[in-house]
Amino acid sequence: MPDVIDKVELAFTVNGEPVRLRVAPQDTLLHVLREDLELTGTKYGCGEGECGACSVLLDGKVVNSCLVLAAECAGSEVLTIEGLAANGELHRIQKAFVDHGAIQCGFCTPGMIMATCALLRANSSPSEGEIQRALEGNLCRCTGYRKIVDAVRSLAQGGVADA
Amino acid sequence: MAAISKYWAPKTLEEAAQAAGAEDTVLLAGGTDLVPRWTKGLLAKPETVVDLKRIAELSGVARVNGEVRVGAGTPLSEIASDPLIRAAAPVLAEAADRVACPQIRNRATIGGNLCNASPAADTAVPLILLDATLELASWARRSMKVRDVPIVDFFRGPGATVRAPGEMLTHIRFKPLSKGVFAAWEKFGTRRAMEIAVASVGVAIQVERGTVVRARVGYGSVAPVPLRGRNAEAELVGHALSAEVISRCEQAARDEIAPITDVRAGATYRREIVGVMLGRMLERAGRNRQS
Amino acid sequence: MHDVAVESVAERETRPGTLIGQRIPKLDAPEKATGLARYIEDIKLPRMLYGKILFADRPHARILNIDTAEAEALPGVRAVITAADIELVPFGYGQDNTALKKEKVTCIRDEVAAVAADTPQIAAEALKRIRVTYEDLPVVASTDEARAPGAPVIHAKVSDNTPFRYDYAHGDVEQGIRESDVIVEDTYVLQRVAHCCLGTSGIIADFDADGRLTLYSLTQVPFLYKHDLARVIAVPPEKIRIIQPPIGGGFGSKLDIHPFEPICVFLARATRRPVRLVFSREEEFLATPTRQPMVIHLRSGARKDGTFTFRDVHLLLDNGGHTSWGATTPWISMRTFSSLYRVPHVRQHVDVVYTNNPYACAFRGYGNPQATFALESQVDHLAEELGLDPLELRLKNAHEGGDTTPQGMILQTCGLKECLQTAARNAGWKEKRSASNRQSSTVNRQSSVVRGIGMASLFHVGGGAKIYRSDGCGTILKLDDFGGITILTGSSEIGQGSETMIAQIVAEELGLPLKNVRVINNDTDLTPWDVGVHASRTTFVAGNSALRAAREARRKVLEAAAARLKRKPEELDLQEGNVMDRTSGKPLESIGKVIRGLHFGRSKNELIMTTDFYEPASTAPDERHMGNISSCYAFGTHVAEVEVDLETGVVKVLKITAAHDVGRVINRLGIEGQVEGGIAQGIGYCLSEEVKVEGGRVLNPTFTDYKLCTAPDLPELDISFVETHDPAGPHGAKGIGESPLIPVAPAIANAVYNATGVRISELPLTPERVLSKLHEARGESDRRLEIDD
Repeated sequence: MPDVIDKVELAFTVNGEPVRLRVAPQDTLLHVLREDLELTGTKYGCGEGECGACSVLLDGKVVNSCLVLAAECAGSEVLTIEGLAANGELHRIQKAFVDHGAIQCGFCTPGMIMATCALLRANSSPSEGEIQRALEGNLCRCTGYRKIVDAVRSLAQGGVADA
Repeated sequence: MAAISKYWAPKTLEEAAQAAGAEDTVLLAGGTDLVPRWTKGLLAKPETVVDLKRIAELSGVARVNGEVRVGAGTPLSEIASDPLIRAAAPVLAEAADRVACPQIRNRATIGGNLCNASPAADTAVPLILLDATLELASWARRSMKVRDVPIVDFFRGPGATVRAPGEMLTHIRFKPLSKGVFAAWEKFGTRRAMEIAVASVGVAIQVERGTVVRARVGYGSVAPVPLRGRNAEAELVGHALSAEVISRCEQAARDEIAPITDVRAGATYRREIVGVMLGRMLERAGRNRQS
Repeated sequence: MHDVAVESVAERETRPGTLIGQRIPKLDAPEKATGLARYIEDIKLPRMLYGKILFADRPHARILNIDTAEAEALPGVRAVITAADIELVPFGYGQDNTALKKEKVTCIRDEVAAVAADTPQIAAEALKRIRVTYEDLPVVASTDEARAPGAPVIHAKVSDNTPFRYDYAHGDVEQGIRESDVIVEDTYVLQRVAHCCLGTSGIIADFDADGRLTLYSLTQVPFLYKHDLARVIAVPPEKIRIIQPPIGGGFGSKLDIHPFEPICVFLARATRRPVRLVFSREEEFLATPTRQPMVIHLRSGARKDGTFTFRDVHLLLDNGGHTSWGATTPWISMRTFSSLYRVPHVRQHVDVVYTNNPYACAFRGYGNPQATFALESQVDHLAEELGLDPLELRLKNAHEGGDTTPQGMILQTCGLKECLQTAARNAGWKEKRSASNRQSSTVNRQSSVVRGIGMASLFHVGGGAKIYRSDGCGTILKLDDFGGITILTGSSEIGQGSETMIAQIVAEELGLPLKNVRVINNDTDLTPWDVGVHASRTTFVAGNSALRAAREARRKVLEAAAARLKRKPEELDLQEGNVMDRTSGKPLESIGKVIRGLHFGRSKNELIMTTDFYEPASTAPDERHMGNISSCYAFGTHVAEVEVDLETGVVKVLKITAAHDVGRVINRLGIEGQVEGGIAQGIGYCLSEEVKVEGGRVLNPTFTDYKLCTAPDLPELDISFVETHDPAGPHGAKGIGESPLIPVAPAIANAVYNATGVRISELPLTPERVLSKLHEARGESDRRLEIDD
C-alpha cells in the first residue's frame, strides 16, 4: 500500500519558461526535468553528486540536480542544456565544444557545458588552472579533458561574459 | 513504500524550531548528504522534510562583538569567497573551497557539513583551530532557547553529535585569528579533487620571540570524530620550532590519533601521513616567523 | 579478399583543400552539445515498462527457493520472472552463463530474478519483496583457493576449476637461456578496473504483433550479437532488429551478451509490452564485467650487447564466476610477449581459473595493457642489469618494416624505431636521463620530492583482427540528385568518431562537401554486416570498405561526366562539388548536374548506388596461435615524467610525450582525442583505479571510492603522429583506438623507478603502495602498511 504523500505545488522557471507542476516531495530536480518536462539533455550518471553529468544552473549557480529536490526550487530559475542555444544557433560554449573536438560519446557534455557556463559568468577570463578547478566535479571517460579545457580556454580570450 | 511524505519550507527560525522536534522530521540544508540517501531508497519510513533554506537569518557572515558569526545555512562556496572569513580565518575558507567540487560547494552548507558529522568533515578541523563555538537553538515552553557548544564537544562519533532531537545548529562563532598566527590546513587524498579525505591536518601557531606561545592542532579522518591534538600542542607550547621539537610533535600526533583501515587507506598509512603533513606545516611555520 | 590498391594516393591527399589529415569536428557533436541526442535512458516507447534485476547478495550459494508472490501482488508490477519461467540456454565463450540462475549463484552479481513494472520505483520496491532462500557454499576467493586440493567445484563440468589453458612457443627457450648473459625475473600483478562509461548499461526490448523483436541496444557488435542472442531468446535472427542509440561510452564493455539483455527480452515477452532496463551506477559497478585481472610471471634474458634472447611467461587469470571475453585476453597478451621487439625464443603458458569473484570482459587493449606493463617494466630491468640506456636497448631490438614476427605477424609498415626516437627527442630524454643519473639511485635523498623519466612502447593490431570467421565490413552508398551522399555502414559509432572518419573519406573521394554526407550506422535492418567495433579495426576495415564503395561511385560519376563533357575520365577530377579539368584546375560542371543528367538521361536512366564488402587479407590463428591475424600493426612509444613524494608516496604525472605510428592521420582532431582519452584511462589504470574485491564482494561500487581522473589530474601532453603510410590502409591509415592506453602504466612505473630506485610491479601505484615499497627499499619493513597484507 503506497504511503500517503503530500504532493507539492511547484512553480518555477525552466529555461526562461514558467512551469507549474505537482511533484512528490522525494522527486529530485533531475527526475522532474527528465520525466515530467522531458528535458532529457540533463543526464543521470551516478545519482549521488559524484560525476556532474546532471549539472544545471539553479539561480545562476551550477549544482548537481540529482541532489536537489524539485520542491526546493519553488520560485527559482533553472537553466538546462536545452536552454542555451537560441534562435536555432548554437551557444558559443556549445560551438567551442564542437569545434575543439571536446565531445566524443557526449554523455558528460551537457554537464560540462553547464559547469562551463557557470564559470564564464563568474570569471570571463579563467586561467587553465581555474578551468580545471571549475570542471573538477565533471567526470569524462572519453576525452581525457584536454580538448574540453582547450574549448573553454578559447572562450576565455573572448572576454565578454555573454555566457 | 518508504518515501518523504511531506515537504515544507518555513520562513522563520521559530517555525523551523517548533517543527524540528516532531517525529520522523528531518531538517534539510544543502541536501548533498541527505538527498542521495533518500533517492537510493535508504529511508526507513516516511519522513517530513523541513527545508531551512528560506530562513534568512540562517545564512550569511557578520562581525558581532569582535567575533565572526556564520549562519549554519551558509553554502560552502560562500564561506570560501566571503571577504570577512578570508581575512579572519583563511584556513576555513580554504577548507570550504576544497570540498568536492563547485556543484557540491554551491549547495552544501557549513552547518550541514558539521551536523552530518563525518570524521572527514572538512570544515571541522579549521573550526577546531579557531576554538569555534556552535549555537544550538530549540523551541521549548513557547520560546527559543539557545545553548553554546564548543566545537570540540560537538561530535560524539561517526555521524553522531550532541545535537538533541528538536535542536538546530543555527550559527558558528569564532574570534578572528590574530595577526601573528601561522595557520595552515591540508587534506590528503589519492587525487586532487572530489576527495573524501584520507587524512587532514590543521595547525594554528602563535610564535613570540622565537617561542610558541599558543598552538592548536586538529586532525580529520583519523579518529571517530574530528579531533583536537592536545598532545601535539603540548609538545609545541613553550618551545622553539626546532627540528627536534617538530619531530616530537609528529610522534605525539601519530600516537594520539586512532585511524582505521577502510576501503580508502590503511591505518598505519594514515598515521604516517598525519605525521608528514604536520611536520611539513610546522617547518613552514618555522620559516614564516614573521607572519 | 583484395587489398585496396594505392592509386594516386600521394597526389590526391596532399593537394590543398583535402579533407584527409584535417581537424574535422564530429558530425554528431552538435546534437550532443545541445542535449538533443537521445541515449538509451532518454528513449520512451508507448506503454513502456521498466525492468529491474534482483542480483545475488552472496558470491557462492545454492538457490533453494525463490518466492515471488509478494512482489507479484504489488500494484504496478506486471511480471516477475525467475529461471523457472524461461528456457535456459547457455551463452558466452565458456557456455557457462544463463540469463537467470537456476541451481546456484557463483558470484555476487548473478541474476536471480527480474521484475517489470509501471515505474522504476515500483520495480525497485518489488525486488525487495522477492524472498530467495539460499544455502551458502564456501566462497572461493582466489585462484589459489580454487586450485587447492578439495576446493569447491564452481561449475560442475569443470572439476579442477580450470576451464582453459593455452600454450604458445616459438624457438627454444632453453637455448635462449643458454645464450643469455643476463636474466631477470619478476611477478606482475594487474588489478581489476571498471570501464566507468558515463552512461550506464541499458536496453529496450519491443516485440511487434508479428513477434519481430526490436532491441535498442548499446552493443558494439550488433550483427554478432543478433546471431548469438537469437538462440538464447528463441527468436530467429531474421526476426531481430538491433537499433543502436548513441552510447555513453563503450571501451569494449559491450562486446558480449550480458544477462540483463535477454532478461529484458523475457520481460517484454511476459508482459507483451516494451520494457526498458537501465542500470543505476551502483549496479553498473557491481554487475558489469571488469578488465581481466592477471598475475604475470615473466622471465627474460639478453646477451651483454643487449640482444634479447628469450622470454618465458606464465599468465594466471582469475576468471570469476562465469566466462566472458576476459578469458580470451591472453591471446592478445601472447602477441605482445612474442612480438614486441625481436626475440628468438618465447614460451607462454596460461591458466584460466574459476573463482567466486566478479568476472571480466573486453576492455580497451584486451590483455595488452597487462602484458605491456609486465614486459616493458622488465625491459627496463634488463636495461639496468646490462648497464644500457632503456632507449638504446629498445632501439637495438626493435622491429622494422618488412619483418615477419615469429608468431607470423607481417609488419609491412613498422614505425617503432621512429616512435622511440620521436618520443625520446620530444621529451628531452637524453638530458633528463643524465640529470637523474647524477642523483644516487638509492632513496637516501635530502629532498623529499624527486623526479624521474621512463618510457614504454606498444605493439597492437592496426588492421583488424581475424579472430572470427570474417573480419569484414560492408558499405552501401547512394548519391542523390543533388550531390547528397548517404552511406550505410555496418560499423558502429561509439563516440570514437568513426562516423566522421567515414564521411571524410567518402566526401574526399567524391569531391563533395562534408555537409552533403549522411551516415547511417545504427540499424541492422538497413546496414550491411560488420563484425563490430573492437580491435581498433574501424578506421582500417570500415574505412577501406567505404573508400572502395566511394571509388566505384567516383568512377561512375567520372564516366558519366566524361560522356556528358565529351572528355576522357582520366582528364577529369572531382573537387568542391564540381567536375574539374585535371590539368587546368578549372571547374567544368557541377557534380549534381552530372548525376541528374544520368538519372533523367534520354538514352539511359541510372542512379549511382554502389556496394562493397571488405575482408582484410589476414589469417585466423591456427591451433598453435600462429598467423598474420591483422593486415597491419600499430606501434607507439610513451615517455612519462613524474614527481614522487618520498614521504607520502604520491606520484604526480607531470608530462606524457607520445609518438604513435598510425599509418596516416585521417581526422587530426579525432585522433588526438583518442590519444588524450587513452592516456587519461592509462593514468587511472596506473595510479588510482581499482575494483576492490574481498571474499567475492565489491567494496567500492561508487565513484566516491573508485578513483577516476578528474580535470585537475591532467598532465602536460605532447603528442606526435608518425605516418608510415601502410599500403593496406585507407589513405595508408592504421588503427589507433586501443593503442594510447597500452604503454602508459609501464612508462609511469619506469619513471617512478628512475626517480626513486624502487621498482613496483603491482598496480595501481597508489600513494600507500608506493610508500610501502619505499619503506621496503629503505630496509624499513618493520614499518609495514596494511596494503602489504
